Amino acid sequence: MKRILFLVLILILPACEPDDICSESTQTTSPLVITFFNIENISNTKTVPGLFAVGLDSEGNEVVIDGEIVSSRDKITLPLDVSQSQTQFKLYQNYSVTDGVVQGNPDTITITYNSESVYISRACGFKNVFTIQSFEIQSDLDQWMIVSSISINEVVNQNETNVEILH
Amino acid sequence: MLRYYIRLLLVLLISAPLFAQDTENEVTKDRTVFKEKYGLRFGIDLSKLGRTAFDSDYSGFEINADYRLTKNLYLAGELGFENKTTNTYFLDSNAKGSYFKAGIDFNLYRNWLGMQNMIFSGLRTGIGSFSQTRERYTIYDTNNQTWGEVSNDESIEFSGLTAAWVELLFGLKTELLNNLFLGFSVQLKVRIADTNLNNFETLYIPGFGRTYDSTKIGTGFSYNLSYLLPIYKKGTEKKEEVEEESIED
Repeated sequence: MKRILFLVLILILPACEPDDICSESTQTTSPLVITFFNIENISNTKTVPGLFAVGLDSEGNEVVIDGEIVSSRDKITLPLDVSQSQTQFKLYQNYSVTDGVVQGNPDTITITYNSESVYISRACGFKNVFTIQSFEIQSDLDQWMIVSSISINEVVNQNETNVEILH
Repeated sequence: MLRYYIRLLLVLLISAPLFAQDTENEVTKDRTVFKEKYGLRFGIDLSKLGRTAFDSDYSGFEINADYRLTKNLYLAGELGFENKTTNTYFLDSNAKGSYFKAGIDFNLYRNWLGMQNMIFSGLRTGIGSFSQTRERYTIYDTNNQTWGEVSNDESIEFSGLTAAWVELLFGLKTELLNNLFLGFSVQLKVRIADTNLNNFETLYIPGFGRTYDSTKIGTGFSYNLSYLLPIYKKGTEKKEEVEEESIED
Protein backbone atom coordinates (compact mmCIF):
# COMPACT_ATOMS: atom_id res chain seq x y z
CA MET A 1 0.00 0.00 0.00
CA LYS A 2 3.04 2.22 0.26
CA ARG A 3 3.21 3.05 -3.39
CA ILE A 4 0.28 3.78 -5.55
CA LEU A 5 0.68 3.43 -9.25
CA PHE A 6 -1.63 5.52 -11.29
CA LEU A 7 -2.24 3.61 -14.45
CA VAL A 8 -3.74 5.93 -16.92
CA LEU A 9 -5.12 4.93 -20.24
CA ILE A 10 -5.97 7.86 -22.38
CA LEU A 11 -8.02 6.98 -25.37
CA ILE A 12 -7.49 9.49 -28.09
CA LEU A 13 -11.06 9.86 -29.25
CA PRO A 14 -11.56 10.46 -32.95
CA ALA A 15 -12.18 14.14 -33.32
CA CYS A 16 -14.56 15.34 -35.98
CA GLU A 17 -15.11 19.04 -35.65
CA PRO A 18 -17.45 21.15 -37.79
CA ASP A 19 -14.19 22.94 -38.61
CA ASP A 20 -13.07 19.97 -40.67
CA ILE A 21 -16.00 19.98 -43.07
CA CYS A 22 -16.50 22.69 -45.66
CA SER A 23 -20.10 23.70 -45.11
CA GLU A 24 -22.36 24.08 -48.12
CA SER A 25 -23.33 27.57 -47.06
CA THR A 26 -19.71 28.71 -47.45
CA GLN A 27 -19.22 30.94 -50.46
CA THR A 28 -16.58 29.04 -52.48
CA THR A 29 -15.61 29.44 -56.15
CA SER A 30 -18.60 31.02 -57.83
CA PRO A 31 -19.83 30.48 -61.39
CA LEU A 32 -20.53 33.41 -63.72
CA VAL A 33 -24.11 34.64 -63.49
CA ILE A 34 -25.85 36.06 -66.57
CA THR A 35 -29.32 37.63 -66.42
CA PHE A 36 -31.39 38.29 -69.54
CA PHE A 37 -33.34 41.54 -69.95
CA ASN A 38 -35.95 42.73 -72.40
CA ILE A 39 -34.45 44.98 -75.07
CA GLU A 40 -37.78 46.79 -75.41
CA ASN A 41 -38.03 47.46 -71.68
CA ILE A 42 -34.60 47.19 -70.15
CA SER A 43 -35.79 47.26 -66.57
CA ASN A 44 -37.58 43.94 -66.98
CA THR A 45 -36.01 40.54 -67.22
CA LYS A 46 -37.07 38.43 -70.19
CA THR A 47 -37.19 34.67 -70.35
CA VAL A 48 -35.13 32.94 -73.04
CA PRO A 49 -37.18 30.07 -74.51
CA GLY A 50 -35.36 26.73 -74.56
CA LEU A 51 -32.08 28.13 -73.22
CA PHE A 52 -29.17 25.72 -73.24
CA ALA A 53 -25.41 26.21 -72.89
CA VAL A 54 -22.38 24.15 -73.91
CA GLY A 55 -18.76 24.96 -73.20
CA LEU A 56 -16.09 25.32 -75.86
CA ASP A 57 -12.55 24.25 -75.05
CA SER A 58 -9.46 26.01 -76.42
CA GLU A 59 -9.66 23.95 -79.63
CA GLY A 60 -13.32 24.78 -80.15
CA ASN A 61 -14.64 21.36 -79.15
CA GLU A 62 -17.94 21.29 -77.33
CA VAL A 63 -17.81 20.43 -73.62
CA VAL A 64 -20.90 19.30 -71.74
CA ILE A 65 -21.56 21.50 -68.75
CA ASP A 66 -22.28 19.46 -65.65
CA GLY A 67 -25.88 19.85 -64.54
CA GLU A 68 -26.92 21.98 -67.52
CA ILE A 69 -30.42 21.20 -68.87
CA VAL A 70 -32.62 22.79 -71.52
CA SER A 71 -35.13 25.12 -69.90
CA SER A 72 -36.78 28.48 -70.44
CA ARG A 73 -35.34 30.94 -67.92
CA ASP A 74 -34.07 34.47 -67.57
CA LYS A 75 -30.87 33.58 -65.70
CA ILE A 76 -27.99 31.17 -66.32
CA THR A 77 -24.91 30.24 -64.31
CA LEU A 78 -21.79 29.17 -66.20
CA PRO A 79 -18.64 27.63 -64.65
CA LEU A 80 -15.45 29.39 -65.74
CA ASP A 81 -12.29 27.40 -66.43
CA VAL A 82 -9.89 28.11 -63.52
CA SER A 83 -6.87 26.87 -65.45
CA GLN A 84 -7.40 29.36 -68.30
CA SER A 85 -7.84 33.11 -68.56
CA GLN A 86 -10.62 32.79 -71.12
CA THR A 87 -13.69 30.58 -71.45
CA GLN A 88 -16.09 30.30 -74.38
CA PHE A 89 -19.68 29.11 -74.36
CA LYS A 90 -22.33 28.52 -76.95
CA LEU A 91 -25.73 29.71 -75.75
CA TYR A 92 -28.70 28.26 -77.61
CA GLN A 93 -32.13 29.78 -77.91
CA ASN A 94 -34.95 27.26 -78.66
CA TYR A 95 -32.57 24.34 -78.26
CA SER A 96 -33.89 20.94 -79.21
CA VAL A 97 -32.62 17.75 -80.74
CA THR A 98 -34.69 16.17 -83.49
CA ASP A 99 -33.51 12.87 -84.96
CA GLY A 100 -29.99 13.55 -83.73
CA VAL A 101 -29.89 17.00 -85.28
CA VAL A 102 -29.45 20.00 -83.01
CA GLN A 103 -32.05 22.70 -83.63
CA GLY A 104 -31.95 26.21 -82.25
CA ASN A 105 -30.02 29.43 -82.55
CA PRO A 106 -26.52 29.33 -81.04
CA ASP A 107 -24.58 32.48 -80.17
CA THR A 108 -20.97 32.24 -78.93
CA ILE A 109 -19.78 34.26 -75.97
CA THR A 110 -16.19 34.78 -74.85
CA ILE A 111 -15.29 35.79 -71.31
CA THR A 112 -11.75 36.84 -70.43
CA TYR A 113 -10.77 37.23 -66.80
CA ASN A 114 -8.02 37.28 -64.20
CA SER A 115 -7.92 34.62 -61.49
CA GLU A 116 -6.90 34.96 -57.88
CA SER A 117 -6.76 32.28 -55.18
CA VAL A 118 -8.37 33.48 -51.98
CA TYR A 119 -8.07 31.61 -48.69
CA ILE A 120 -11.37 30.57 -47.11
CA SER A 121 -10.71 28.23 -44.19
CA ARG A 122 -8.93 25.06 -43.07
CA ALA A 123 -11.71 22.82 -44.39
CA CYS A 124 -12.44 24.65 -47.66
CA GLY A 125 -8.90 25.68 -48.51
CA PHE A 126 -8.74 28.20 -51.34
CA LYS A 127 -11.38 29.45 -53.73
CA ASN A 128 -10.84 31.16 -57.04
CA VAL A 129 -12.07 34.70 -57.55
CA PHE A 130 -12.44 35.74 -61.20
CA THR A 131 -12.32 39.35 -62.28
CA ILE A 132 -13.96 39.79 -65.65
CA GLN A 133 -11.84 41.74 -68.14
CA SER A 134 -14.13 41.50 -71.10
CA PHE A 135 -17.36 39.89 -72.24
CA GLU A 136 -18.03 39.54 -75.95
CA ILE A 137 -20.84 38.17 -78.07
CA GLN A 138 -19.49 36.88 -81.37
CA SER A 139 -21.51 38.53 -84.10
CA ASP A 140 -23.31 36.36 -86.62
CA LEU A 141 -26.16 36.79 -89.09
CA ASP A 142 -28.76 35.44 -86.73
CA GLN A 143 -27.75 36.89 -83.40
CA TRP A 144 -30.35 36.63 -80.64
CA MET A 145 -28.30 38.31 -77.89
CA ILE A 146 -28.07 41.96 -78.88
CA VAL A 147 -26.24 43.92 -76.19
CA SER A 148 -24.26 42.91 -73.13
CA SER A 149 -22.93 44.85 -70.19
CA ILE A 150 -20.87 43.81 -67.18
CA SER A 151 -22.59 44.78 -63.94
CA ILE A 152 -20.23 43.19 -61.40
CA ASN A 153 -16.67 42.34 -62.47
CA GLU A 154 -15.80 40.17 -59.50
CA VAL A 155 -17.27 36.69 -59.72
CA VAL A 156 -17.65 35.90 -56.02
CA ASN A 157 -21.32 35.34 -55.28
CA GLN A 158 -23.64 33.19 -57.33
CA ASN A 159 -26.65 35.20 -56.20
CA GLU A 160 -25.33 38.32 -57.91
CA THR A 161 -25.59 38.98 -61.63
CA ASN A 162 -22.25 39.61 -63.31
CA VAL A 163 -23.39 40.18 -66.85
CA GLU A 164 -26.67 41.57 -68.19
CA ILE A 165 -27.77 40.68 -71.73
CA LEU A 166 -30.53 42.32 -73.71
CA HIS A 167 -32.48 40.30 -76.21
CA MET B 1 -14.56 16.78 -28.47
CA LEU B 2 -13.54 19.97 -26.78
CA ARG B 3 -16.55 19.77 -24.52
CA TYR B 4 -15.52 16.25 -23.63
CA TYR B 5 -12.08 17.44 -22.54
CA ILE B 6 -13.51 20.23 -20.45
CA ARG B 7 -15.92 17.88 -18.76
CA LEU B 8 -13.16 15.34 -18.11
CA LEU B 9 -11.07 18.08 -16.59
CA LEU B 10 -13.90 19.21 -14.33
CA VAL B 11 -14.71 15.71 -13.16
CA LEU B 12 -11.06 15.05 -12.34
CA LEU B 13 -10.71 18.37 -10.57
CA ILE B 14 -13.76 17.75 -8.44
CA SER B 15 -12.85 14.18 -7.59
CA ALA B 16 -9.24 14.97 -6.69
CA PRO B 17 -9.92 16.29 -3.14
CA LEU B 18 -12.15 13.26 -2.42
CA PHE B 19 -9.38 10.96 -3.47
CA ALA B 20 -6.95 12.82 -1.28
CA GLN B 21 -9.20 12.48 1.76
CA ASP B 22 -8.56 8.75 2.11
CA THR B 23 -5.05 9.35 3.29
CA GLU B 24 -5.91 11.59 6.22
CA ASN B 25 -6.63 8.75 8.60
CA GLU B 26 -3.06 7.60 8.42
CA VAL B 27 -1.73 10.32 10.70
CA THR B 28 0.09 8.97 13.73
CA LYS B 29 1.05 10.73 16.86
CA ASP B 30 4.74 10.04 17.13
CA ARG B 31 6.97 12.96 16.55
CA THR B 32 9.78 12.05 14.21
CA VAL B 33 9.80 14.74 11.59
CA PHE B 34 9.83 13.32 8.11
CA LYS B 35 11.75 15.42 5.69
CA GLU B 36 10.62 15.83 2.13
CA LYS B 37 12.87 16.22 -0.87
CA TYR B 38 13.14 19.55 -2.61
CA GLY B 39 14.90 19.89 -5.90
CA LEU B 40 14.91 20.22 -9.60
CA ARG B 41 13.06 17.67 -11.71
CA PHE B 42 13.91 17.18 -15.39
CA GLY B 43 11.89 15.22 -17.86
CA ILE B 44 10.97 14.48 -21.43
CA ASP B 45 7.62 14.09 -23.09
CA LEU B 46 7.25 10.46 -24.15
CA SER B 47 4.06 11.06 -26.11
CA LYS B 48 5.89 13.35 -28.53
CA LEU B 49 8.64 10.77 -29.02
CA GLY B 50 6.03 8.10 -29.65
CA ARG B 51 4.16 10.24 -32.11
CA THR B 52 7.39 11.08 -33.91
CA ALA B 53 8.02 7.36 -34.35
CA PHE B 54 4.55 6.41 -35.55
CA ASP B 55 3.14 9.47 -37.30
CA SER B 56 4.93 10.35 -40.52
CA ASP B 57 3.36 13.82 -40.53
CA TYR B 58 4.78 14.72 -37.14
CA SER B 59 8.05 15.13 -35.33
CA GLY B 60 8.47 16.76 -31.97
CA PHE B 61 10.53 16.82 -28.81
CA GLU B 62 9.94 18.41 -25.45
CA ILE B 63 11.96 18.70 -22.29
CA ASN B 64 10.36 19.90 -19.12
CA ALA B 65 11.49 20.87 -15.65
CA ASP B 66 10.00 21.86 -12.36
CA TYR B 67 11.42 23.26 -9.16
CA ARG B 68 9.71 22.78 -5.82
CA LEU B 69 9.19 26.11 -4.07
CA THR B 70 7.00 25.15 -1.12
CA LYS B 71 5.19 22.04 0.07
CA ASN B 72 2.69 22.15 -2.74
CA LEU B 73 3.89 24.80 -5.16
CA TYR B 74 6.26 24.16 -8.05
CA LEU B 75 7.72 26.42 -10.70
CA ALA B 76 7.40 24.58 -13.97
CA GLY B 77 8.24 24.99 -17.61
CA GLU B 78 8.57 23.23 -20.93
CA LEU B 79 10.80 23.77 -23.92
CA GLY B 80 10.31 22.00 -27.21
CA PHE B 81 9.99 21.96 -30.95
CA GLU B 82 7.44 20.50 -33.30
CA ASN B 83 7.15 19.93 -37.03
CA LYS B 84 3.68 19.05 -38.23
CA THR B 85 2.25 18.60 -41.70
CA THR B 86 -1.47 19.10 -42.09
CA ASN B 87 -2.97 17.36 -45.11
CA THR B 88 -6.49 17.63 -46.38
CA TYR B 89 -7.85 16.90 -49.82
CA PHE B 90 -7.74 20.61 -50.59
CA LEU B 91 -4.67 21.76 -48.68
CA ASP B 92 -1.17 20.69 -47.57
CA SER B 93 0.55 22.85 -45.02
CA ASN B 94 3.56 22.42 -42.78
CA ALA B 95 4.32 24.22 -39.53
CA LYS B 96 7.60 24.01 -37.68
CA GLY B 97 9.12 25.89 -34.82
CA SER B 98 9.92 25.97 -31.15
CA TYR B 99 8.08 27.00 -28.04
CA PHE B 100 8.57 27.79 -24.39
CA LYS B 101 6.08 27.54 -21.58
CA ALA B 102 6.46 28.73 -18.02
CA GLY B 103 4.20 28.72 -15.01
CA ILE B 104 3.31 26.88 -11.84
CA ASP B 105 2.04 23.50 -10.74
CA PHE B 106 0.03 23.17 -7.55
CA ASN B 107 -0.14 19.79 -5.86
CA LEU B 108 -3.67 18.88 -4.79
CA TYR B 109 -2.80 15.48 -3.39
CA ARG B 110 -1.99 14.75 0.25
CA ASN B 111 0.67 12.05 0.08
CA TRP B 112 1.17 9.18 2.39
CA LEU B 113 4.34 9.36 4.33
CA GLY B 114 7.52 9.20 2.31
CA MET B 115 5.72 9.45 -0.97
CA GLN B 116 6.01 12.17 -3.53
CA ASN B 117 3.18 11.54 -5.93
CA MET B 118 1.25 14.44 -7.30
CA ILE B 119 -2.22 15.15 -8.55
CA PHE B 120 -1.79 18.66 -9.73
CA SER B 121 -3.33 21.54 -11.44
CA GLY B 122 -1.18 24.08 -13.21
CA LEU B 123 -1.09 27.29 -15.16
CA ARG B 124 1.24 28.19 -18.00
CA THR B 125 1.82 30.95 -20.43
CA GLY B 126 3.33 29.79 -23.69
CA ILE B 127 4.99 31.46 -26.61
CA GLY B 128 5.82 29.87 -29.92
CA SER B 129 8.09 31.02 -32.71
CA PHE B 130 7.51 29.21 -35.98
CA SER B 131 7.10 29.23 -39.71
CA GLN B 132 4.34 27.81 -41.84
CA THR B 133 4.61 26.67 -45.43
CA ARG B 134 1.69 26.31 -47.78
CA GLU B 135 2.81 23.38 -49.90
CA ARG B 136 -0.16 22.67 -52.16
CA TYR B 137 -3.79 23.51 -52.61
CA THR B 138 -6.63 22.45 -54.85
CA ILE B 139 -9.15 25.15 -55.66
CA TYR B 140 -12.42 24.43 -53.88
CA ASP B 141 -14.88 24.57 -56.73
CA THR B 142 -18.17 22.67 -56.67
CA ASN B 143 -18.55 23.36 -60.41
CA ASN B 144 -15.26 21.75 -61.37
CA GLN B 145 -16.84 18.75 -63.15
CA THR B 146 -16.97 20.71 -66.39
CA TRP B 147 -13.40 21.96 -66.71
CA GLY B 148 -11.59 19.83 -64.15
CA GLU B 149 -9.83 20.41 -60.86
CA VAL B 150 -7.02 22.91 -60.57
CA SER B 151 -4.16 22.55 -58.10
CA ASN B 152 -1.23 24.76 -57.27
CA ASP B 153 2.07 23.28 -56.04
CA GLU B 154 3.84 26.58 -55.61
CA SER B 155 5.16 26.57 -52.07
CA ILE B 156 4.96 29.74 -50.02
CA GLU B 157 6.66 30.10 -46.68
CA PHE B 158 5.37 32.41 -43.97
CA SER B 159 8.26 32.83 -41.56
CA GLY B 160 8.88 34.75 -38.37
CA LEU B 161 5.47 33.91 -36.94
CA THR B 162 4.73 34.09 -33.23
CA ALA B 163 1.86 33.06 -31.03
CA ALA B 164 1.06 33.34 -27.33
CA TRP B 165 -1.38 31.40 -25.25
CA VAL B 166 -2.30 30.42 -21.70
CA GLU B 167 -2.86 26.89 -20.47
CA LEU B 168 -4.74 25.28 -17.66
CA LEU B 169 -3.29 21.87 -16.86
CA PHE B 170 -4.40 18.94 -14.89
CA GLY B 171 -2.24 15.91 -14.32
CA LEU B 172 -0.65 13.22 -12.26
CA LYS B 173 2.93 12.33 -11.39
CA THR B 174 3.86 9.12 -9.68
CA GLU B 175 7.23 7.94 -8.40
CA LEU B 176 8.06 4.67 -10.11
CA LEU B 177 11.55 4.17 -8.73
CA ASN B 178 13.55 6.32 -6.38
CA ASN B 179 13.40 9.85 -7.85
CA LEU B 180 12.08 8.61 -11.20
CA PHE B 181 8.61 9.82 -12.06
CA LEU B 182 6.04 8.98 -14.68
CA GLY B 183 3.23 11.38 -15.26
CA PHE B 184 0.65 12.64 -17.62
CA SER B 185 -1.25 15.83 -18.04
CA VAL B 186 -4.06 17.23 -20.13
CA GLN B 187 -4.05 20.87 -21.11
CA LEU B 188 -6.76 23.29 -22.04
CA LYS B 189 -5.32 26.21 -23.97
CA VAL B 190 -6.55 29.61 -25.02
CA ARG B 191 -4.80 31.50 -27.79
CA ILE B 192 -4.32 35.14 -26.88
CA ALA B 193 -2.25 36.41 -29.79
CA ASP B 194 -0.90 35.22 -33.09
CA THR B 195 0.45 36.67 -36.30
CA ASN B 196 -2.06 37.19 -39.09
CA LEU B 197 -1.04 35.70 -42.41
CA ASN B 198 -1.72 37.31 -45.73
CA ASN B 199 -4.31 35.18 -47.54
CA PHE B 200 -3.72 32.21 -45.23
CA GLU B 201 -4.00 31.36 -41.55
CA THR B 202 -2.04 29.46 -38.91
CA LEU B 203 -3.27 25.88 -38.95
CA TYR B 204 -0.86 24.49 -36.39
CA ILE B 205 1.16 26.28 -33.73
CA PRO B 206 4.10 24.37 -32.22
CA GLY B 207 3.39 23.95 -28.51
CA PHE B 208 -0.24 24.94 -28.90
CA GLY B 209 -1.42 22.37 -31.40
CA ARG B 210 -3.97 22.68 -34.13
CA THR B 211 -6.13 25.75 -34.33
CA TYR B 212 -9.87 25.99 -34.83
CA ASP B 213 -11.71 28.54 -36.93
CA SER B 214 -14.62 28.72 -34.55
CA THR B 215 -12.76 29.13 -31.27
CA LYS B 216 -9.49 30.29 -29.69
CA ILE B 217 -9.39 27.17 -27.55
CA GLY B 218 -7.04 24.23 -28.06
CA THR B 219 -6.22 21.04 -26.20
CA GLY B 220 -3.10 19.07 -25.47
CA PHE B 221 -1.86 15.96 -23.82
CA SER B 222 1.54 14.84 -22.59
CA TYR B 223 3.07 11.78 -21.04
CA ASN B 224 6.25 12.50 -19.14
CA LEU B 225 9.18 10.63 -17.71
CA SER B 226 11.19 12.75 -15.27
CA TYR B 227 13.99 12.51 -12.80
CA LEU B 228 14.30 14.45 -9.54
CA LEU B 229 17.67 15.86 -8.54
CA PRO B 230 17.21 16.45 -4.82
CA ILE B 231 18.90 19.65 -3.62
CA TYR B 232 17.82 19.77 0.00
CA LYS B 233 15.37 18.21 2.42
CA LYS B 234 12.83 20.00 4.51
CA GLY B 235 10.16 18.94 7.00
CA THR B 236 6.70 20.34 6.80
CA GLU B 237 5.93 22.81 9.55
CA LYS B 238 2.26 23.44 9.69
CA LYS B 239 1.15 24.27 13.23
CA GLU B 240 -2.21 22.53 13.44
CA GLU B 241 -1.08 19.40 11.76
CA VAL B 242 0.49 16.52 13.57
CA GLU B 243 3.76 15.67 11.94
CA GLU B 244 3.71 12.34 10.28
CA GLU B 245 6.21 9.64 11.00
CA SER B 246 7.92 7.02 8.97
CA ILE B 247 7.16 3.50 10.13
CA GLU B 248 7.45 1.26 7.19
CA ASP B 249 9.25 1.04 3.90
